[in-house]
Amino acid sequence: MIKKKMIAMLLAGGQGSRLGVLTSKVAKPAVSFGGKYRIIDFPLSNCINSGVDTVGVLTQYQPLRLNTHIGIGIPWDLDRNVGGVTVLPPYEKVGKTEWYTGTANAIYQNLAYMESYNPDYVLILSGDHIYKMDYEVMLDYHRSNNADVSIAVMPVPEEEASRFGIVVTDGNGRITEFQEKPENPKSNLASMGIYIFNWKVLKEALVTLSEQPNCDFGKHVIPYCFDKGQKLVAYEYNGYWKDVGTLGSYWEANMELIDIVPEFNLYEEFWKIYTSNELIPPQYIAAEASVTRSLIGDAAEIYGTVENSVIGAGVKIGKGTVVRDSIIMKGTQIGDGCVLDRAIIAEDCVIGNDVVMGVGEDVPNKVKPSVYSFGLAVVGENTTIPDGVKIGKNTAITGETVAEDYPDGELASGETLDKAGVVG
Amino acid sequence: MAGGNSYRMKELSNKRAIAAMPIAGSYRSIDFALSSMSNSHIQRVAVLTQYNSRSLEEHLNSSKWWDFGRKQGGLFLFPPMQTPDNSYWYRGTADAIYQNLEWLKRCHEPYVVIASGDCVYKMDFGKVLEYHIAKKADVTVVCRTLPEGDDASRFGLVRMDEDDRITQFDEKPMAASSNTISCGIYVIRRRQLIELIEKAGEECRYDFVRDVLIRYKDVKKIYGYKIDTYWSNIASVDAYFNTNMDFLKPEVRQYFFGEYPDVYSKVEDLPPAKYNPGSSVKNSLISSGCIVNGEVEGSVVFKNTYIGENCHIKNSIVLNGVYLGDNVTLENCIVESYVTIKPNSSYIGQDGIVIANEESDRYDL
Repeated sequence: MIKKKMIAMLLAGGQGSRLGVLTSKVAKPAVSFGGKYRIIDFPLSNCINSGVDTVGVLTQYQPLRLNTHIGIGIPWDLDRNVGGVTVLPPYEKVGKTEWYTGTANAIYQNLAYMESYNPDYVLILSGDHIYKMDYEVMLDYHRSNNADVSIAVMPVPEEEASRFGIVVTDGNGRITEFQEKPENPKSNLASMGIYIFNWKVLKEALVTLSEQPNCDFGKHVIPYCFDKGQKLVAYEYNGYWKDVGTLGSYWEANMELIDIVPEFNLYEEFWKIYTSNELIPPQYIAAEASVTRSLIGDAAEIYGTVENSVIGAGVKIGKGTVVRDSIIMKGTQIGDGCVLDRAIIAEDCVIGNDVVMGVGEDVPNKVKPSVYSFGLAVVGENTTIPDGVKIGKNTAITGETVAEDYPDGELASGETLDKAGVVG
Repeated sequence: MAGGNSYRMKELSNKRAIAAMPIAGSYRSIDFALSSMSNSHIQRVAVLTQYNSRSLEEHLNSSKWWDFGRKQGGLFLFPPMQTPDNSYWYRGTADAIYQNLEWLKRCHEPYVVIASGDCVYKMDFGKVLEYHIAKKADVTVVCRTLPEGDDASRFGLVRMDEDDRITQFDEKPMAASSNTISCGIYVIRRRQLIELIEKAGEECRYDFVRDVLIRYKDVKKIYGYKIDTYWSNIASVDAYFNTNMDFLKPEVRQYFFGEYPDVYSKVEDLPPAKYNPGSSVKNSLISSGCIVNGEVEGSVVFKNTYIGENCHIKNSIVLNGVYLGDNVTLENCIVESYVTIKPNSSYIGQDGIVIANEESDRYDL
């Protein structure tokens, strides 16, 4: 009979709407990161590096890119005879058919998948954080504490604690109280959304809560287990962990990779991060080019100047173009003579010649000021930008734009140009 | 055919087979032949290895990168083996096939492509086969005309009549008799090959070119298939250096990297290349996993190489996993893979290419 000690369930169905046009066509876990990776590579690599070889990936929002990327799991060595990676979309049933209505509901709808591996423990992960973590160490902690549920937590600065779900513990790590975004936090330990459940405990809770609308781990399952008097412990994690939920934090996390010895180091032999290598050729830096303080992906061709930027695989940057403090994703072509400051350009865009991005005043975005801020100019995937236009700060552009879309050749700061019709 | 060595490679072939020589930053020589086969829908491939075969076998430890892991066919590695009636190494190309004749007899495919692992090219073998069938040839040899001034004496030279039938075939002659060379790629019907190889084996003849092609050229119909696309044999230090440098030309990169289908290679899961303050890279290829702190000009830097501060690297090839300390100067140089070049050293090729190879006490993970 098949027997797995611990299997992982990776929640990858969310849109990540605060990443704006970057997630208009792809789920957040499939967004590019660090010149070569996608966000989901981090939890998937953590799984295989921790010896977890059975991973269910729950998809819902725009799964095409994610499915293509995961395939049968070859890059992470998750193509297994028994176990491996399985993509789990919502499916039609006899009787009540529904989408995944919440994190716990998604797991509940896949009880049969988990059951088939007869696990002792189930690891619940989300696909939108950048970190390296050994889940086996967390499992050892879980077992040595005889816990029913373990929650990974990390210390956050006191003044920021009110933005997080806070966990209060007794001296031995046992959780005594939860505070959701508290005004007066009693502790500085924030939940990271990573849980280890004893399988029987999880199954019982999910079945009991099956009628709960929008059933969610943080809101329903954890409180249910807590109220039942089960043993919940906090596993403190002190390494690098970044939630790339907003454009600002996404940009920052990319930029942190450029430091001479980055806090989050991709160059260590230990704990490699794996990804699907779609392009293998080396990158070419031309005689007239200049590249400093940057990461550059495979098969890129650089003819211009790149400073303090993260450039994806297969990107072409034309002659005389200057790219500063920007993130350019896979396959994008940038013409000659452009100047780009603080731009995030998604995959497979075509930017004309003499385009200037990230100039002008820092005025808030008119449509979604909370999303398009940080002074960034953001371009969605497969966007075309014509020659010679000027684009301001806190802007968003999608679709095939032409010169007529830019009055006086300019998209002023704070404007949105949504030809693909995805901003909403 | 991936078993040979050549003294022309000097110490570069001390630790690896020529077919395992790193090419163009991210590849090994044999990737070009294997990818061409895979892209031509050839599903069953045997790699005959002998000299320094471990390097090649490490590279070919999984067939999945070239898409050969199929139920029909597969990628097979055949080093010489001892049997009750044979205890010889491969004594030549024909002998290598002869020693694996049992396997060849059990295959069901009607045609065989014979290619060598030390050439850089892209080829649709389907087109060669079409030509072979249209000409009703017994053997088709892929041929190429060398540009004026190139030394043809390390190749097999052919002459063809108006119909492209080969009338003369000289193997590495002292004086070049023609500037059309054999690319070492042959198409032949499988039963025909078995018959010829069996005959040669019985007569203790071991070389496919000398003992089969040249001896039979007037008896069998041997045709030349001319190509004018990029093709380069890397089996000498200068040829190896120049082939790598060719990839600095946009048209060569476009042909190999830009045009479909791709060239495949084993994937190594390295992070993107990183350029630190002080780095200055001009007209160079840089591969994944590299960290650059110094100056690089007109060079090819292979994977996972660290270039220290204030280094000056010019017109050089730095192979995989090299660590260059600070203030290193390299010019007209090939740095052997996985070596550590101590800070403040200098390797400058005055009249030719020098090969830098220092003993490394670095511990590799």
